[in-house]
Amino acid sequence: MKNSNLTLILALGLMMSILYACANTTSVARVHPEAVTGLPDCTECHTDSWGALNHKAPDFMSKHKIYASSKFACASCHQESFCVDCHAHKEEIKPSDKFKDSPERSLPHRGDYLSQHKIDGMVDPASCVKCHGRQNNEGCKTCHR
Amino acid sequence: MQKSRDFRKEGILKSHDSRRSPVAISRQALRMAGGIAAVCTLSVSVPVYADTTAISAESNTILRMGKTDFQDSRNLFPAYEYLRLSVADTDKDGSTTSLHVGGWLRGDLGDKSARDRYTDADLQYGYLSYRGAKNNLVINAGRQFVAEGVTTERLDGLYLRNDFAAGFSAAAFVGSPVVTEPNFKADDLVFGGRISHSMYKYYTVGISALKSFADSGRYREEEGVDLWLHPVKQIDVTGRSSYNSLTNGWMEHAYDIAYVPLDNLRLYGNLSNINYKDYFFRVTTSALSFTNRLIDPNEQVLTLGGGMAYTPIKNFTIAADYKHHNYEIAKTAHYYGGKLSYSQPRFLAAGFSVHRMDGNVDKLKYWEYRLYASKTLGKADLTLDVIDLNYDSTLGTNNVRNAVTVAAAASYEINESLKVGADVDYSHNPDFDNEVKGLVKITYVFDSKRAAEGRAKSEK
Repeated sequence: MKNSNLTLILALGLMMSILYACANTTSVARVHPEAVTGLPDCTECHTDSWGALNHKAPDFMSKHKIYASSKFACASCHQESFCVDCHAHKEEIKPSDKFKDSPERSLPHRGDYLSQHKIDGMVDPASCVKCHGRQNNEGCKTCHR
Repeated sequence: MQKSRDFRKEGILKSHDSRRSPVAISRQALRMAGGIAAVCTLSVSVPVYADTTAISAESNTILRMGKTDFQDSRNLFPAYEYLRLSVADTDKDGSTTSLHVGGWLRGDLGDKSARDRYTDADLQYGYLSYRGAKNNLVINAGRQFVAEGVTTERLDGLYLRNDFAAGFSAAAFVGSPVVTEPNFKADDLVFGGRISHSMYKYYTVGISALKSFADSGRYREEEGVDLWLHPVKQIDVTGRSSYNSLTNGWMEHAYDIAYVPLDNLRLYGNLSNINYKDYFFRVTTSALSFTNRLIDPNEQVLTLGGGMAYTPIKNFTIAADYKHHNYEIAKTAHYYGGKLSYSQPRFLAAGFSVHRMDGNVDKLKYWEYRLYASKTLGKADLTLDVIDLNYDSTLGTNNVRNAVTVAAAASYEINESLKVGADVDYSHNPDFDNEVKGLVKITYVFDSKRAAEGRAKSEK
């Protein structure tokens, strides 16, 4: 059993080494070559798969969790602080309050969210988990003890 | 509760409780390694402030104003300072070494606004990064946000990714989850990774796993499959299924499909299935745990949705959407509506939407209206946003049938670096008869000329 595990590890290591040695792709640009303002429609320039990142699409928010696995591509236009505005660690100002001057952005918790969170929590509590399940939930303790 | 108090003694910038278990020791070792790497890289990179060095910084000073009668009567005037800094040095071969730091400080000028403290602070991220010129190599060390398949974690630790030959990519991470002051103690150590295969023109498919420990005991074990398919230009499919190995159940299946038959027409649909027992396993807040009976572990929800967006003329979009929630225990709910929007950056953004929530309990029967407009006039931006919820019944809403929030904001760009703004909002809702809040914000952005090549990355 130990020999077979060792063989597997060696085989995997060898395969990874070969794949690493043969890899030769150029990294995505650190800074997007064209200045982008507002919500970009990436299809205006990109005819390849990057066009799917059309930020104006109504389903972009729902899909961005998958695109985020290519975070190095997001970083061409967005600072880390952009992610942190919503995916916060310990935050006291909700995103829609920080950016009231950007009403077109899909920012969570607009308006009176103290009342609305009881409704959203009933309809779709799973949507709370990614941001508040294991972080940024200190405020919940005020009522939920 | 006692544990929460103990966590506070640990200090605001630390993660959470630390015990001298093997896991805790390894966590400390990781922190030390990260710290040493940070100091070494800083000492090398900062003095070499050459043509290839780009610096980007932003300060947001925010003063909030308001009065609350929630739980007790308080006058709230918290002042915040949000700071972020990025320093990037690009080598001749195109590789980049960079430092990214962001955090905030708060001081209350009135009564205590949060967490029973007059002052507070947080380091939201702080890491060193190396990006290779080839193969999208990324090495990060420090406090960072990792999104890789089943993992969406903020951790103090190390992250590594690289593209390999034949379309393969791999990412791995290890560290301590960043959790402060939760209701329940969280994990000490988390590690995991993702392996994917791509044909960039057609698809990316990944498998990922996450494992974490608390006091040397197994805490979370999740595995998943994710995909991004775009077999033809008009179709884009994304999705993920994740499995909880500790509860032996599927946590989530969530898939989206978009079909774009014309440049100005988009049709989309989504499907998700969530098993509460597996999905809400070991959250750190009682608001989402099984202990207070708000979340029923036996519940399952199947959500089906879809919509369309049509752009008859540039910048103007007509959209409609529908979502159906079908629960195993609770009753079904439907949410549907439409939206008209116009968006032209630095000129005008406006929209009007109407949605109907149609559920089987009083709280889930209401109309939702939203009207917003944001107009740029020279160097000034003016914004108005009105959100109105009109409940069918006052039962369960403190006899309030109409909940309305009106927000008005104005900002002025003094120069390329400096912007000032203020907003005020009024709410009448089931929790407050008349609530008025204000906010003043001063934004200062600094980008060295070299950083502004291409894009300054300012989010102002």
